[in-house]
Amino acid sequence: MKECIKVSKLLSRYLDKEASCADNLLIEAHLDKCLSCKKELLELSRIKELVLGKERKTLPQDYLVCRLRQNIADERCIIKQGLSWLSGIGDFSRKIIPVPVAVIVISLVFMILTSKQQLTEYSLEEHVLSGAQTTTETALGVMLGVLN
Amino acid sequence: MNEDSFYVRQFLTGEKDGFEILVKKYQDRVLNIVYSIIRQDRESEDIMQEAFLKVYRNLRYFKERSKFSTWLYRIVVNTVYDFLRKRRNFISNEDILEMRAATCEGPRDTLLTREKEAMIQEALLGIPLKFRAALVLKDIEGLSYIEISEVLRCSIGTVESRIFRARQFLKEGLLKLTGELR
Ligand SMILES: [Zn+2]
Repeated sequence: MKECIKVSKLLSRYLDKEASCADNLLIEAHLDKCLSCKKELLELSRIKELVLGKERKTLPQDYLVCRLRQNIADERCIIKQGLSWLSGIGDFSRKIIPVPVAVIVISLVFMILTSKQQLTEYSLEEHVLSGAQTTTETALGVMLGVLN
Repeated sequence: MNEDSFYVRQFLTGEKDGFEILVKKYQDRVLNIVYSIIRQDRESEDIMQEAFLKVYRNLRYFKERSKFSTWLYRIVVNTVYDFLRKRRNFISNEDILEMRAATCEGPRDTLLTREKEAMIQEALLGIPLKFRAALVLKDIEGLSYIEISEVLRCSIGTVESRIFRARQFLKEGLLKLTGELR
């Protein structure tokens, strides 16, 4: 009985031809005299056969190679596009951005600040009632929500 | 130098053919390993493709401390694990319906084969993942215990006990599905 426990733990390994020589001898000697372990070995080998006999899938020779080629090409394309986009941004910023954008930003800030200064002195209502000319600065201030 | 090492070196010296030959050689083996672990056609192909892309990107770091196939299978198993981690409940009702439908097609003899196939696959899926992976590497791919221990990065004793446990689960699963072993 004690031997059965030991042998049954080794059966899976024995079936895979991975048991040591000493274990092989022990198992085979035990199997000769033990029906229940013999039955267990038979069941295990049926299970192994079922898995071994499982239908295998096959793919056309070039199937995966084609998919991989496409994938690798796409990947390279994305990297290239990314790089050219980045360098495009670089060219763009070098050529176009600095001067005109700086001018626009500075004038916008200046206009808002001056209109805010004016508008803190009187409300929009007072401004309209005063009949003063509505300048671009004031309009911008209204649009940007500087006015209350 | 074995055949695989030759193609690996060929690829590393700039010959794309080396990689493609390895892909052709291993695609079916990899597909069968993945499919036996997750049992989903489209996903198995995606995982297979992902694994080979990882090989393509990382082949220059492969130092030939193990066989190429061992390194490849390790990448494959890890890619499967990643996939399953991302999709914990990976068997949708749709998949089950699809499988049932597949078992109901065709003439009677293929029906029996399909039924048997579906039954084995279902019983395999009932085995906890780490035991299942070891069993698939043994009985689907035919690796030795040493090779499996290298792929799964564990001791030979652990491989032995995982395969042993996997077969116990499989036996119980098949008994549940059929009432008796056919
Ligand atoms: Zn016994």
